[in-house]
Amino acid sequence: MKSKRFEVLAARPVNQDGYVKEWPEVGLVAMDGPNDPKPSIKIENGRITELDGKTREQFDMLDTFIADHAIRLDGAERAMAIDSLDIARMIVDINVTRKQVLDVTLCLTPAKLSEVMSKMTIVEIMMGMTKMRAREQPANQCHVTNVRDNPVQIAADAAEAGIRGFAEMETTVGIARYAPFNAMSLMVGAQVGRPGVMTQCALEEATELELGMRGFTTYAETISVYGTEPVFMDGDDTPYSKAFLASCYASRGLKMRFTSGTGSEVQMGYAEGKSMLYLEARCLAVTKGAGVQGTQNGSVSCVGVPAAVPSGIRAIAAENLISMLLDLESTTSNDQTFTHSDLRRVARSVPQFFSGTDYICSGYSATPNYDNMFAGSNWDAEDYDDWNIIQRDMKVDGGLQPVQEEDVIKIRNKAARALQGMFRELGLPAITDEEVEAATYANGSKDMPERNVNEDLKAIEDMMARKVTGVDFVKALDKAGFSDVAQNVYAMLRQKVAGDYLHTASIFDEQFHVMSAVNTPNDYHGPMTGYQISEERWKQISDIPNAIRPEDI
Amino acid sequence: MTFDANMLRGIIEEVLKEMNLDDSSTEPAAQSVTASSLPNGKMQLTEQGVAQRGITTDEVVIGLAPAFGREQTKTIVDLAHDQVLREIIAGIEEEGIKWRVIKVYRTSDVSFIAHDAAEYSGSGIGIGIQSKGTTVIHQKDLPPLSNLELFSQAPLIDLETYRQIGKNAAKYAKGEAPTPVPVRNDQMARPTYQALSALLHIKETQLVDNNKKPQAVVVNFQ
Amino acid sequence: MDQELLMKQIVEQVMKAMQNDSTETKSSYASNGKVTADNYPLSEKMADKLKTPTGKPFNSISYDKVVKGELGPEDMRIAPETLEMQAQVAESVGREAFAGNLRRAAELIAVPDDRLLEIYNALRPYRSSKQDLLDIANELDGYKAAVSAALVREAAEVYEKRGRLKKD
Repeated sequence: MKSKRFEVLAARPVNQDGYVKEWPEVGLVAMDGPNDPKPSIKIENGRITELDGKTREQFDMLDTFIADHAIRLDGAERAMAIDSLDIARMIVDINVTRKQVLDVTLCLTPAKLSEVMSKMTIVEIMMGMTKMRAREQPANQCHVTNVRDNPVQIAADAAEAGIRGFAEMETTVGIARYAPFNAMSLMVGAQVGRPGVMTQCALEEATELELGMRGFTTYAETISVYGTEPVFMDGDDTPYSKAFLASCYASRGLKMRFTSGTGSEVQMGYAEGKSMLYLEARCLAVTKGAGVQGTQNGSVSCVGVPAAVPSGIRAIAAENLISMLLDLESTTSNDQTFTHSDLRRVARSVPQFFSGTDYICSGYSATPNYDNMFAGSNWDAEDYDDWNIIQRDMKVDGGLQPVQEEDVIKIRNKAARALQGMFRELGLPAITDEEVEAATYANGSKDMPERNVNEDLKAIEDMMARKVTGVDFVKALDKAGFSDVAQNVYAMLRQKVAGDYLHTASIFDEQFHVMSAVNTPNDYHGPMTGYQISEERWKQISDIPNAIRPEDI
Repeated sequence: MTFDANMLRGIIEEVLKEMNLDDSSTEPAAQSVTASSLPNGKMQLTEQGVAQRGITTDEVVIGLAPAFGREQTKTIVDLAHDQVLREIIAGIEEEGIKWRVIKVYRTSDVSFIAHDAAEYSGSGIGIGIQSKGTTVIHQKDLPPLSNLELFSQAPLIDLETYRQIGKNAAKYAKGEAPTPVPVRNDQMARPTYQALSALLHIKETQLVDNNKKPQAVVVNFQ
Repeated sequence: MDQELLMKQIVEQVMKAMQNDSTETKSSYASNGKVTADNYPLSEKMADKLKTPTGKPFNSISYDKVVKGELGPEDMRIAPETLEMQAQVAESVGREAFAGNLRRAAELIAVPDDRLLEIYNALRPYRSSKQDLLDIANELDGYKAAVSAALVREAAEVYEKRGRLKKD
C-alpha cells in the first residue's frame, strides 16, 4: 500500500532536482573533504618552499603561481600558526576590525582558508559577509539576453533594468557572432535607463577583450580560473596567461574581475579528489595573485553540482566569504537556476541578499528565464515584485526598487528608439517601428517580431571590419537626435581615461561619481555602523505601488 | 528526478575498473559504408591509427569524444549514439559534402574536440560531440573556445537538431552562411541534469590521453 | 596638573600633530609625488594632473570635441602615468598585488591591440615553444615592459616544467 503523503511529496518541485551522495574520491564533496591537504607553509629566503603539505618540487602550476604571487609573506608564518577556530572567531567578532582580519587572512594558504570556513555556521558566514565585503553599500547586477539575440529587446530590457536599480549589466549570446550587436545594444539601453551603469558581454576570452578595447563594453567578468591544473588547461588558459590578460584590460582602462566557483572542477572531470571549497580557495588565491581587483564566484554555472551534495549551498556562501577575506570585490552569483523549488531558490539567496555583498546577484535575469542565455537565473524578471517586497519585509537594500508601469513603458520605448537611430546612422540593418513598438511592451522574445539573422550577421562582420568603436556610437547617437544618451556613452568613455573605476568594487552613481572600496569602504563594526539605509532610500524601497493607503479607506 | 546513488557509484566504479584494463582489445574489422544507405541498428567504430589532415575542401570532419560509442553508448537523454551519428552524417550528405570521423583523446572538452576536428578537416569545418551529447560546430581559424554554433544544453538536443547540425556544418564547408540552428533554452535542464552531466563527463574524462593524437575512425552501421 | 605645564603639553601635542599633518600632506602628493586614497577619485580631485596617452589634458576632452571628430578612440584611453597614480592609490590602501597588475598594465599601453591579443594567445597552453615565449619577453623588454617580460619568462619556465609548451 502506497502512502498518499509520500505521493504528494514525490510530486513536489524539490523532488525534481537532482541529488547525489558525497563521493570524496572524485571530488563530489562540498567542503572539508577527507583528501584536502592539511594547511602548512614554509618560507626560506623570502620564498615559499612548502605550501599546504607540498614541497616546491611537488608543486603543480597553480601551487607555483600561488606561492610566488598570492600570499603576503610578511607575517605569513605567524598567521598560519593561529588556530583556524580563532580566525573564525575574529571574523564574527565586531571588536576585531575588517583590517585586522585582513592582516591575518591575506597571509593564509588555500587549505587554511577553507579550514577556517569549516568552523563557521551559515549565520556566522553571513555575519562575516556583512563585515568583510569591500564596498560600504551593496549593489546588484543583471543579465540582459534573449534567445534570438534581438538587439532592440536587449536595449529595452536594459533600460528597464536601469530604472529598477541594477548597477551592472551583463549580456551574452546565443550565436557567438551576434556579440557586437548585443554589447552595443546593452550599452545604449543601460545608459538610457540610468546613466553610469556598467556593461559587459560574456564571450570567449580574446574576443571579449577585443570588444572591450573597441569600447563596446565597460568591464569584463567572465575571465574564468579553475582550481586544478588540468581543468585550467581545458579552460584554455594558465594562471600566467590570465594574469597577463588582467593587465591587458587595465592597460585599456577597462575594469575586470575573474570568475570561478565550486563544482567547476568536478563538472569538468578533474577534481583530483579534493573538496569543491578547497579548490575554489585555490582559484581565489590565483585571482589575488594575478592582481585582479575582484571576483565573480559562488559556483555560478556549476551550481547544480554543489547543490546536489550535503552542505553545498553553505559552501557557496563560504566561497563568497573567502573572496572577501582576500579583500576582493565580491560578485556573488545567485544567478544560475539550480532548482525547481521556489523555497530552495530563496533560501539559497538569503546569505548574500540579507548580508549584502558588492553585487548580490551576478546576473539577476532582467528577462523572463526562457530568454536567459546563461541557461536561466535564480531570479528573473517575473520575480521583480517578489524581490522588492522581500527588501521591504526585511528592510534590506538588495539594490532594486519598485517602479511605475508608465515609467517602464516610456524608458523601454526611448531605448528602442535610440538604438533604432544609432543603427540607422551606423548603416546597420534597419530597426522597424514595429520592432520599437513590440520592444516597448514586450515581456520576452515571444512578443518580438523576428529579424533577418543572416543580414544582421553580415552587417556585424562588415561593422567590425570598418573598425567601428565606442566613439562612433557617441557620434551616431548625437546625429540621431539622442544627445542625452550620447552624453552618457561619452561619459563612460571618459572614465576609461581616468581609471578610477578600475579599483575594487567600483560602481557609478548617475552623475558618474565613482563609489568603490577606496572612497566608500565598508566599515561595519556592529549594530548601527556600516551601510545604513537612508530615509530617502527607505522610502524608495518601501513605497510599492500596490500598497493600500490607509487614508483612502 | 532523484539519482540512485548506488547506480551512480556503479557507473563510476565501472569506469575505474575500465581504466585498469588493457586498452588494446582489438575491434573487429569493419568496412566503411556511406550514410545514404544507413540501415537502422547498431554501429561499429573501428580506429585505424593516427588520422590524417584532409586536403580536399569538400569535407566535414566529425570529432568524437573519448568514450563516444564505446564506453558510453547514449546521450544524457538516452539518444543512442549510432542514431546521433547517423543523423549528423545524413545532414552532411544531404548537402553533397563528404565526411570523416576522428576520435579525439587529448581532451574531453567539446570545444577543443570540435576545434581539432576543424583542424583536420580539409574545409576547416569540424563538428565536435561529447558522449553526453553536447555538440559544437567549429572553424579552424577561430579561437578554440569560440565556435560557429554551440549546442551547450545536451538534454535539449533531439535527433532532428543533430541532422540540422550536420547540414549547417556542410553549408559552412561550402562557404555558405546558413541560418544558425535555433538555440534552445530550458532553465530547468540544469537542476535536473547537472549532477548527472558531471558524472558522465568524469567518466569520459578518465579516458583522456593527453599524448594520443586523433585517431581515424571507420564507421560501420549494421 | 600645573596649568602652565598642561598648556605646554597641549601646545607641544598640537605642534607635533601639525608637523605630522604637514608631512602627511607632503607625502600624499607634493614632495615625493605619491598619490593616496585621499586624492581619489583622481577624475575629481586631480583632474588637472591627468592626460590622455596622446598628451591632451584630461580637462580638455569634451563631448563636443568627440562629436566634431576632434577626438578619436586613440584619445579616449588611459595613459601610463595615470595607471601609475592609480597603482599608488591601490598601495595606499594595502592592495599591493592589484597595484602590481596596474603597473604591468601601464607598461602594456604601448603594445598595439592586435599584438597584445597575439601575446595573450601565445601564453595560452600548448601554443608556444619555450623560445617563442622568451622571444616575446625580449620583445616586451623593447617596449620597456620589464614586469610583464618577467612574467612571460616565469611562465616559460613553469610551462616547460609542467609540459604545457607547444607539442611538435
